[in-house]
Amino acid sequence: MKRRTILAGIAGAAATAALPARAQQDAFGSKELIAAAEKEGGLTLYTADFAETQQEVIKEFNKRFPKIKVAMVRAPGGQLITRIKTEAAADKLGADVVNHSDRGLMLDIADLFQDYAPPNAADYRADALVSPKLWPGVTLGWAIAYNTQLVKNAPKTWMDLTKPEYKDKQIGQVIGPSGGTTWTRIMFERQVLGEDYWKKQAALNIALYPSGAPLSDALVRGEVSIAPLLYNIIYTKIVEGAPAEAIFAPEGVPIVPYADGITKASKNPNAARLFMNWRLSKEGQTFMIKKLGNITSLKEPPAYPKGWDPKVIKVWVPKFDEFSKLRTSWMEEWNKTYGYRQ
Amino acid sequence: MTATSAAALPATTDAAPAARRWAAPLWVSALLIILTFLVIYPLLMLFFGAISDSNPVIDGFGKFNPSLTHFIAVLGNENVRLAFFNALVACGGGTILAVVIGLAFSWIVVRTNTPFKGFIAGASMIPLFVPPLVAGVAWSILGSPKTGLLNTALKWMGIDFRFDFYSMSGLILVFGFYYAPYVYMFTASALRNMDPSLEEASEVAGASAFTTLFTVTFPLIAPAILAGSLLSFVVMLGIYGVPAALGAPANISVLTTYIFKLTAWSPPLYNTAAAVAILLMMVTAILVWAQQRVLSGRSFATVAGKAFRPRSLNLGPWRWLTFSLALAYLFVVVVLPTVALVIAAFRRFLFFKDFRAVFDMKAYSWVHFNSIFDNPLTMTSIWNTMKVGVITAVIGGVLAFAIGYTINRTQVAGRKSIDLLSTIPVAIPGLVVGVAYLWAWIGLPGGLYGTIWILALAFVARFIPDTVKALSTSFMQIHKELEEAAWICGRGLLSTIGTIMVPLARPGIVASMTLLFVLAVRELGSSLFLYTSDTTVMAVLLLDYYEGGNIGKTAAFSLVQTVILGVLLGITYWLSRGSAESTARAG
Repeated sequence: MKRRTILAGIAGAAATAALPARAQQDAFGSKELIAAAEKEGGLTLYTADFAETQQEVIKEFNKRFPKIKVAMVRAPGGQLITRIKTEAAADKLGADVVNHSDRGLMLDIADLFQDYAPPNAADYRADALVSPKLWPGVTLGWAIAYNTQLVKNAPKTWMDLTKPEYKDKQIGQVIGPSGGTTWTRIMFERQVLGEDYWKKQAALNIALYPSGAPLSDALVRGEVSIAPLLYNIIYTKIVEGAPAEAIFAPEGVPIVPYADGITKASKNPNAARLFMNWRLSKEGQTFMIKKLGNITSLKEPPAYPKGWDPKVIKVWVPKFDEFSKLRTSWMEEWNKTYGYRQ
Repeated sequence: MTATSAAALPATTDAAPAARRWAAPLWVSALLIILTFLVIYPLLMLFFGAISDSNPVIDGFGKFNPSLTHFIAVLGNENVRLAFFNALVACGGGTILAVVIGLAFSWIVVRTNTPFKGFIAGASMIPLFVPPLVAGVAWSILGSPKTGLLNTALKWMGIDFRFDFYSMSGLILVFGFYYAPYVYMFTASALRNMDPSLEEASEVAGASAFTTLFTVTFPLIAPAILAGSLLSFVVMLGIYGVPAALGAPANISVLTTYIFKLTAWSPPLYNTAAAVAILLMMVTAILVWAQQRVLSGRSFATVAGKAFRPRSLNLGPWRWLTFSLALAYLFVVVVLPTVALVIAAFRRFLFFKDFRAVFDMKAYSWVHFNSIFDNPLTMTSIWNTMKVGVITAVIGGVLAFAIGYTINRTQVAGRKSIDLLSTIPVAIPGLVVGVAYLWAWIGLPGGLYGTIWILALAFVARFIPDTVKALSTSFMQIHKELEEAAWICGRGLLSTIGTIMVPLARPGIVASMTLLFVLAVRELGSSLFLYTSDTTVMAVLLLDYYEGGNIGKTAAFSLVQTVILGVLLGITYWLSRGSAESTARAG
């Protein structure tokens, strides 16, 4: 199934080159798929992403496909997984599409998802995929953010965040066990920046936050001056004029490819497929990069965030086997190093 | 309570003895069945989760692997013990403060000639409908040691003192401020319904007004004080928002924030969370037991079949002192946080270089309000919330009346079990009970799951204790002789309830239904698991804004919610005040 779809995708891409007028349509699906999707008229999206961000995505999708209404259920990551599992067990799973940041948790419930691959499947990095059913509709990347009113000498690298000049709660940090996105970052810190990176940083007496959003808010308010943050969380605030800036560090940008899929229980499989196709298409990904501050898992990114020099900045994707295997033991060490009570 | 009982009485009248004989057991069984469905069944699911590694719906009862791992892990974990200790200190301190404030307020409003009492009474209820998360956020805007508005102002004035609400004392203060209305609600209606002849007797005997207050008045309304403080303590134990916003930055963990962590970590540890929740329930069970021991065997009937008017103490010039005390409280609890929220809601960003920046009008706009009303979910959630609130208040109010009457006014066998069952849910923290309801009710036949009704059902179950306790206070105060008078006049049980109990307990009924409505509007924990895209409620959307890290939209949406609740509460307050007056006149 996967290979066939990939072939279809490649064929579609070839046709695109020849026939620009048909290109966009083929990028999202065949005429039949679009007609069937419009007949279904809607779908339900379960997401662990921020509600507002996903609403922007839906709005943009509706500009191209106004006849397909997307209803959304949003809950924090852990709660969402529990809900999906329970609904599925009771045969009442309401989701057509699930959008989740934790690839590990999604892989555990991969059985609930149907076979699917987007037309441009071959354009995606292999290391961003954990299952042929699950696709990185959203990809986020870690940046270093700072409050421009409070920081005179802004950090430029990840290593800068271990400098004594930033001591005493100037740096804020999301706790390790908060989820897959943070786990990706702290894994990067240890594997790329050195075994003693955590220790050096923890020695600066940094402030810990339960998740990224309250930390981004604390940064803007000036509760902390510097924080590693997912770029999309701070990007929209910077655009709106918040006293903040964010940079991508030269040692690498840890990225978090989401795992999105179409459920087997989907009552609107065509609409779901079209929605996924659009999200994964060049158009969908470009929108998310430019408007929402996302990164992409496409091998050749159609756009870059501000300040991202592709010659200097390299993305870093965790090896998925290590992502699962090292998690428990490293997390325990992280908790101990940072004095986080668990 | 006297020995005469509703169950015993019909047996003495000879009309249709067979039907009467069966009525009481049937009635008790019906209540027990309803409570079993609402309380015991989800609770069993919770126990099942706590003592096994499985999710009862996913794995089925067949795969039940009982193990005490979670309990042992929880009891052996020093962080749980620390969280437990912190919770007791924060809630204990908060309760003491709440009792002092609540009692002082009810006395000022009901029993003195302090000016503008009506206004004070109305305004002092405001903290009750502020969601805990919003209260926490507002106080972090005000009292953060680094960026708090209060500290920015102090710095500007050249004063060295700094507030630090990111601390245990900060938690205690905010708890005390915000949960004082619970104590107020209970004690004010008790004071209002109290026969002043006892106080007059005390004064005739030579006691001063002050001595009378502490030797006669407060002891007489002891059940109300105890019920109010117990409820506020237990409610504080279950609050997540305040310790999340104020405790977390100082690394102060309480049981609820610990439970939230367990459910939010990836992967979530619901079974462990269930074990911690059961620990929490045990504490509450002990408290409830203690309360019943203290109250047992005493009569607190102060509303008798005699006309009276609540007495108003003439404070003379001192009335301006009580007035300024009330104003100071209102300033701290209502004005300051509201100003903080208004600033947050209208300001594009909450960064203040110095105190002067607060007055930079260019930084203010309607942008957050525009953005929340651009979101189609906002109107849907408001409409859904109102529907759920009304359904919950009506169903819950009727059920609570039935339960409260059975517990307090009859001697039927089984009423103790009803009392116990209806008290249990108060102890279960929202987030955990949410998953218990999901586990319990998702499999029900019919289309309940995914509708407004399942949310209402969860709220009724979750807040049954609050409602019943609020109502019971009113019941305990109505003297048996009034009902007996109706029976002697040949009225049946239902007719007596309709003509005596309902009108007399009306302030209590209105108050408890209002309370239920407010609690339902605020409730997040159980909503999160039971809502669907069509049945989104305001609490869920508020969490979305908060979790999205947008304090401006969070504040704007909280203001919208506060205004809606304020208007509705104003209406019910006006209604219940009217009825309280008519009750006093008719009494």
